[in-house]
Amino acid sequence: MNLFRSEEHARRWAQFNPASEAGFISLPELAGFFGTETRRHMLDGDYLSAWFPKRAAERREYLTRIGKTSPFWLGTPDP
Amino acid sequence: MAESQIQTMDRMFHRIMRGLIDTGRPPHHAELARALGLGVEEGRQLLHAVMSAYPIGWLHPETDYIASFPPLNGLPTQYRIGVRGEQKWFAQCGFEATSVTWLFPGETVRVEAPCLDCGDPVTVEMRDGQLLWVDPPDAVGHLNYGFGPSRGRPPFL
Repeated sequence: MNLFRSEEHARRWAQFNPASEAGFISLPELAGFFGTETRRHMLDGDYLSAWFPKRAAERREYLTRIGKTSPFWLGTPDP
Repeated sequence: MAESQIQTMDRMFHRIMRGLIDTGRPPHHAELARALGLGVEEGRQLLHAVMSAYPIGWLHPETDYIASFPPLNGLPTQYRIGVRGEQKWFAQCGFEATSVTWLFPGETVRVEAPCLDCGDPVTVEMRDGQLLWVDPPDAVGHLNYGFGPSRGRPPFL
């Protein structure tokens, strides 16, 4: 999970996975993806027990909202 | 799991995160044990329990050393984090780098990383979750393998 100067730079990366064309995400979407509610509670004393368990569902909801609904993003096995 | 065990795991989690924020490195389990009023071995076992409950982080293989505790990393990565002009933190990956902002409320968090294609810098600044600066403007995030069961290795790609 890396940052690149542009999509073209990512495609030129020696370790670029040709099956990862769906793997691009804009910086605003990325900031939203990693800025959902649970993330805002990482400094809370009960983060591990109260907030972290909610993270997976929250991530799926956000990805769905921005249209990243493929198995690649949602983590379901390839057909 | 007993309520007291859950609370102790929460306390250790908080200590690790706080230690990373304050010093730029993860604490050792012996330090954590002392801070929590536990024996060293009890602290070591609790650390393993915490890492099991927080599987997006990991210990260095075959050790009890915290290598990764996202969004920050004990082991240096190319994602250097700067706050108040001080650059002593590393993010686990480029994606987690955009989450570090939540560890420094009210502060401008600067992420600097070399592009893995050309080595030229990618720079992102954020405050309280908001993007303040992205250079170059076309910078993107990229997931090289899918999440979850379909993902490949290594996990940080």
